[in-house]
Amino acid sequence: MMEIENFQLTNLLMKMYEKSAEAIFFFDDKQRVLAMNPSAENILDVDVIDKIIAGKRGAICLPCKGYTSEHEIRTCLTCYLMNPEEDFSSFQVYLETKGKGTIPYAASFETIDEAQGIRVFMLRDLTKQYQTEKMLNQKTMMKSVIKAQEDERKRISRELHDSVAQEMLSSLIDLRVLKYMNIGEEALKKIQQTEGSLLRLLDDIQHLSVELRPATLDDLGLEAAFRTHFKWMEKNYGLIVTFLSELSAQRYAEEIETVVYRVCQEAVLNALKYANTDVVNVKLYEEKGLLKLSVIDDGDGFSLNNYNPKGTGLGIYGMTERAELVEGQLSIQSEPGKGTIIELEIPLTMKLKINKEEEM
Amino acid sequence: MNIHPRFNYEQRIGQLKEEFDFDLVALALVQPAEQRFGLKWEYTSGNISNRYHRIVLQTGKGVAGNVFKTGKPFLAVTVDEIRMKADYFNYPIVVAEKLTSFGAIPLYKYNRVHGVLLVAFRDERQVTPELFEEFRNSVGPKFGPYYNKEMVKQ
Repeated sequence: MMEIENFQLTNLLMKMYEKSAEAIFFFDDKQRVLAMNPSAENILDVDVIDKIIAGKRGAICLPCKGYTSEHEIRTCLTCYLMNPEEDFSSFQVYLETKGKGTIPYAASFETIDEAQGIRVFMLRDLTKQYQTEKMLNQKTMMKSVIKAQEDERKRISRELHDSVAQEMLSSLIDLRVLKYMNIGEEALKKIQQTEGSLLRLLDDIQHLSVELRPATLDDLGLEAAFRTHFKWMEKNYGLIVTFLSELSAQRYAEEIETVVYRVCQEAVLNALKYANTDVVNVKLYEEKGLLKLSVIDDGDGFSLNNYNPKGTGLGIYGMTERAELVEGQLSIQSEPGKGTIIELEIPLTMKLKINKEEEM
Repeated sequence: MNIHPRFNYEQRIGQLKEEFDFDLVALALVQPAEQRFGLKWEYTSGNISNRYHRIVLQTGKGVAGNVFKTGKPFLAVTVDEIRMKADYFNYPIVVAEKLTSFGAIPLYKYNRVHGVLLVAFRDERQVTPELFEEFRNSVGPKFGPYYNKEMVKQ
């Protein structure tokens, strides 16, 4: 039984040596390569392989661009090859590879035969893992940037709404009181004018506050925030937004509500800016555990494959990024002359869905 | 609503349009107190859509908002420069009425801007500085209850 197992094991080890994506080198006590597997040959230049086969000492140093120590990202000091007594069971090494340039590898360098000083050097390509990590970092970063921006907007918006506008309102009331005092015709006229300016200023402050971040979104939810926003769009730009909502005051996690609000805002603004139309249809509904938003206009449209952004070209990118923050998906359908359809789908996991009752 | 019922804005605007063959003449007026003193395009001649009717203008934004805030005339011989701006959509009357060239003057009352008078073309014709001057002269110092010079000495 044991012999068969041994035989099997040898067989398996050979297969691993032949097929593994990890590069495996065997070194003798004189830093010469005894053997290397096909993966190892694949990553090295031909002349390096030739030198290794010729049994040159330190041939591996040609492609090796150093390893990461506590002090430096790439160093040759206390090289793993020369200091077998140190622990090199897991470290990072940079190798110059065939066709891919210098890339990092996760390496291990271990003695497997103490008597003969045989050591095995194994390399695993880290490029993919690094890319994953980079993407993850980027996303986390993006998330915090967007969150920071929203938080700051919220803070300033609240400040404007709660203190600046309130102060303004009380001065306005003081001014109105003046009108009932015993003052001349001319002064009364002036006061009326001042009242007008102050009212307009108050309006401006309120606009600014809502533009930054509508308090309605936090207090009353998506539907109310949208209604206010669309009314404002109509008043300011003459754009009519027909809004259909099937959510019935349902609340969602703040993150989701923010994403939906901002994506919709951007989409409607894009329609206003570029679609050359004055009617936009917005629908907000839930379907099969997804929160869906669609923004449809029958304006100019554009070619998706080949278009010259009229604006910064960042709007669509930003919408996609925001959608990704809550694992949502953004799809854009458009053709020149056939209008534009923008759809956003956000999965509603139980964790993210907050019922009004629970909130109470 | 009629601040000065005896003055026929509609008629005066029509006259101006005919005199200079403008494509559009529009008058924005400050709304009374009940409407929070907003600014609206109230009288127009030669409009192609009614979109501007829905718009309440903000000070500092768009054509009227700009004139209102600065109290100065606003001449755009071509709208290309405005078209390049990121806040192009803040000029809804230019967009909705497809204007190519326009000029606008403030109308004063009690030393405050109370209205904005806009004249514009929709084709290759241009509101040149000379034409703009001519138009201002034609309007004269008074436009109904308003005057178009700042701080008149009495």
